[in-house]
Amino acid sequence: MKTVEKEIGSILSGTISSITQRSIFNRLGGLATTPIQQLTPSDRATIMQELENSVRLFARSNSSQLIASCAKALSPGAGNGPGSATAGAGSGSAAAPLPMTPKKFSIEQEKDIATARLEAWSEAVRIGLSKFASVKVATAVSELARNIVFYAGKGTVELRSVKDDRGILGLQIIASDQGPGIPPAKLDEIWAGTYKSQRGMGKGLVAVKKLVDDFHLDTRPGVGTTVTCVFKGER
Amino acid sequence: MEQELPIIQIRNCLLVSIQTELHDRLALDLQASLMDRVRNVNARGVILDVSAVEVIDSYITRILNDIGKSVRFMGAECYIVGIRPAVAMTLIEMGVELDSVNTALNLDLALERFELLQ
Repeated sequence: MKTVEKEIGSILSGTISSITQRSIFNRLGGLATTPIQQLTPSDRATIMQELENSVRLFARSNSSQLIASCAKALSPGAGNGPGSATAGAGSGSAAAPLPMTPKKFSIEQEKDIATARLEAWSEAVRIGLSKFASVKVATAVSELARNIVFYAGKGTVELRSVKDDRGILGLQIIASDQGPGIPPAKLDEIWAGTYKSQRGMGKGLVAVKKLVDDFHLDTRPGVGTTVTCVFKGER
Repeated sequence: MEQELPIIQIRNCLLVSIQTELHDRLALDLQASLMDRVRNVNARGVILDVSAVEVIDSYITRILNDIGKSVRFMGAECYIVGIRPAVAMTLIEMGVELDSVNTALNLDLALERFELLQ
């Protein structure tokens, strides 16, 4: 079983010196020597946060690409079987992306927004969405999770892969809360773009609707709000 | 976890490199300390480097616009530098405007606009 240190080290070597790598892994503490399959989602988020900061600081070029490869290598299932994610590196023709196991995150504080966003980003990359699409996914999750924290207090964000009629994997995001819901009058204002909340927000839902390929909103005052949206994969 | 973003002064410009999650509190603190510094050093410009920011959503956009507006009220100009291509595309698709700030491709070019590099 490959440890985080071994797998990430092989990706970073050549770009980041071994001394710098050592200090990155030191900062990760016990997580560095944990086998990849045993990582929890929050472990992965912690590692990716650390890697993102360090790689950006120390890598001369290509930092986004390196970070994406790290995210891919850390994702569950990446270390399975012989010839893991790194085998096809360079050619850019990895094996067909596999569907993901659905993941659910509880959202209560601002830091949960970052975790959900990061997970969504790495999942989007993993199931084969393009670099641009993955940033859109992360942005949409950020908007939805922020709405939950600001308006409902707590809720969940769920990620699952869905196949469209062409058989291409896309990502479905379900953001759900038991908050105050949105009254119909306010909803009209939101879609008309005239709504402005106390925190100067209210643009989030409109933004998400424009970003995604498929959007569904179910909101009931006093019961809660559920937003379901899909990012389709590209050929 | 008290956190503060370092503000660097280059001649009459103030530079902040945003390397961390901009949450509500941090953003307000940044805005306040930028205002103070602008007045204390008679800054002509404020440059916010967002090249390390992977995702800019409508909330972060509002924070940047707010900072831009308040800097403008003080008679200085605010430049956002280093917006990533994917981020720019996403902002366009979302229909979100960064209209209270100027933008420049990178720090060099922003400093050039303030005639610091010539």
